[in-house]
Amino acid sequence: MPLLETREVAKEYHVGDHIVHALRGVSLGIDAGEFVTIVGPSGSGKSTFMHILGCLDRPTRGQYLMNGRDVSTLPPDELARVRNEMLGFVFQGFNLLARTSALENVELPLLYTRRGVVKGSERRRKAMAALEAVGLTDRADHHPNQLSGGQQQRVAIARALVADPSVLLADEPTGNLDTATSHEVMEIFARLRRERGLTIVVITHERDIAAYGSRTIDFRDGRVTSDVHHDQALAEPSLR
Amino acid sequence: MIKRWLSHPYVDLALKALGRNRLQTGLTLLGMTIGVATVLAMMAVGAGAQQSIEQQVRAAGLNQLTVRAGNWRPKVEDTGEAVAHQGDARDTLVLPLYRGDVLPVAFHPEDDPMEKHDHPLARQRLGDLEAGLGSAATLTFDDAEAIKGLPGVQYVAGGVHENARVHFGGKRWFTRMHGTDVEMPSIKRGWMLAEGRFFTRREQDRAEQVLVIGQIVAERLFGAGVKAVGQEVTLWNQPFEVVGVVTSATWVVRPAPGDDQFDAVYMPYTTTHRLLNLSKLNDITITAASSGDVSRLAREITTLLRQRHGIGDDQPDDFTVLTQATKALTTGGLPPSVARAVAGNVAELEKVTLEQLATTLERASRTMTWLLAAVAAVSLVVGGIGIMNITLLSVTERTREIGLRLAVGARSRDVMRQFLIEAVAISLAGGVAGIVLGVIAAALIARTLNWATVVSPLSVLLAFGVAGAVGIFFGWYPARRASQLDPIVALRHE
Ligand SMILES: Nc1ncnc2c1ncn2[C@@H]1O[C@H](COP(=O)(O)OP(=O)(O)OP(=O)(O)O)[C@@H](O)[C@H]1O
Ligand SMILES: [Mg+2]
Repeated sequence: MPLLETREVAKEYHVGDHIVHALRGVSLGIDAGEFVTIVGPSGSGKSTFMHILGCLDRPTRGQYLMNGRDVSTLPPDELARVRNEMLGFVFQGFNLLARTSALENVELPLLYTRRGVVKGSERRRKAMAALEAVGLTDRADHHPNQLSGGQQQRVAIARALVADPSVLLADEPTGNLDTATSHEVMEIFARLRRERGLTIVVITHERDIAAYGSRTIDFRDGRVTSDVHHDQALAEPSLR
Repeated sequence: MIKRWLSHPYVDLALKALGRNRLQTGLTLLGMTIGVATVLAMMAVGAGAQQSIEQQVRAAGLNQLTVRAGNWRPKVEDTGEAVAHQGDARDTLVLPLYRGDVLPVAFHPEDDPMEKHDHPLARQRLGDLEAGLGSAATLTFDDAEAIKGLPGVQYVAGGVHENARVHFGGKRWFTRMHGTDVEMPSIKRGWMLAEGRFFTRREQDRAEQVLVIGQIVAERLFGAGVKAVGQEVTLWNQPFEVVGVVTSATWVVRPAPGDDQFDAVYMPYTTTHRLLNLSKLNDITITAASSGDVSRLAREITTLLRQRHGIGDDQPDDFTVLTQATKALTTGGLPPSVARAVAGNVAELEKVTLEQLATTLERASRTMTWLLAAVAAVSLVVGGIGIMNITLLSVTERTREIGLRLAVGARSRDVMRQFLIEAVAISLAGGVAGIVLGVIAAALIARTLNWATVVSPLSVLLAFGVAGAVGIFFGWYPARRASQLDPIVALRHE
């Protein structure tokens, strides 16, 4: 059974009189431990699909199963819980809280755990561990405006990791970064998958970034046009 | 505990968020502070006015009751002149005729001590001398003690009353003599000692010949401005030492000849008993701890005394319970000019009591308090709108942050709570600052304008509570708006 599974998922938006078909029936299964990269032209529905995967949005039609459980019909508070416990998000624009230290930014998801608010010292310990995983312990007290783009994105990755999710979702995480930094970030994803068995889904425009994935899915006009599983070797960029 | 509260992540979060917009937060806080301070100061002014009216009313003796021996009632006719009417028991009781208490206040028939006393009122005054005090005196010292035991009773003083001619040197003054109790000054809140002191319990126990004289008597015997304390006067051919001079402490009552309070002399009732060889009391004066209690006490005293005097169900009382309210207008609880004005303007004079007057005054001052508070509340609303404004600003400014929080697992109620705490934090901080400012303002008003202001703990609590409520009320809408945001829309917000 795949970890994440969509069945004929469709998403429509009503804009004025006409309907925008952002997704036109997508059926995909993603297994635990896969590193999926999603590519496709602008407006092809990549972000829309990821929002559904991330329980930030619900499909107009079709089903979305996590571990075999249909989550597309869950009430908002339950979806919030799934986001908190199962998923970690990384955004193109980092979305860090300004005038807030890196450490406190990383602590954020721990404020909303259903087991109650995690105690201050425990929060700090976990956040430090997450920062360590992205190699930023020495920047814990820095505010976002004191960090480079790559460092900010690493803080964002640490935040996505801190609550121990099983899936990491990233929508163009390298979109605002230069090439070298983009590769650094992708290396981190690859390492997290290797070391922790995380399932990772990354949207990107760049083919060389997409090549980090163990599987690349092409979107066009709200549909999947190709779905390629790479050799293990291809997942290692140095051997590409 | 406060420290734990402050370190709670949500509170911490709210304080940090407020700290980021320091200027806006400060201005909003200022608005709230002014609002709360105004409310508190206005309430203090209102309560102060109310309290001073209550004090004056009390000084006029509204919480007083008098039990008299005998059963007869004074009744006021249209002319305002007091005429005695015998009550239900006119056939069965011989009544003492001392009438000083129902004299109109404005004039004194005995202004000239050498005048022959052929005025009708003078005859009545002399009449009680002739009738003898003991004839219908049914009240005893033990009755007074028993009344003291009733709940709600504050002070009790038994009294014997006489007309008396006081001599000093070649001067004589015809006035009222009251044999009374050391507790009398506590009962007569309207009293003030112009000179000396009241007699002591020791002097009362020993029935010493000491005399406290009213202001009018002092003026007539010694002349204005001459020291009266220490002088020896003669009464009933006995020497008395003057130990004090009493005068009025309130504008409601001014000393006047014939007023029976300040045109009067006071000695321990024990001294009267000893010199006149008496054992009964003419009356007992009682004060209720609360003036609202007077009617209840009047009923209870009636029951108690009927029981003590062994009066059967079908027999009339052998005493009369008078409340100050029923008596006040007829005995001159008000200055003559006020009494005359009231008498001239009210058709059914006997239906107007001082109690009603007091109720009206109190109601008026209470209305004023609420009016002031209502005006002040407008500034609170303005403060509240300020809070709404800054919270809305905060929500708009931080829409992406809200989206992010929702994305990492915050529920809508978490978001709601976060912004409500922010609003309440401002309003409570404003509340505390406002209370401090309000207390200072009330003190300044009291000092510079000489108005009485009262800051009660209740009003402070109320101001704090209202501040919190304003925060919740005006924070609700922005917080709700924040909590209803769609995560994706919020994340995409520019
Ligand atoms: N809230 C919305 N209302 C209306 N139409 C929308 C909305 N969100 C997305 N769409 C439309 O749905 C389609 C898919 O958008 P989506 O953001 O998924 O594209 P994308 O593949 O992520 O593009 P890009 O690579 O530029 O990010 C687009 O045509 C877009 O206009
Ligand atoms: Mg997109």
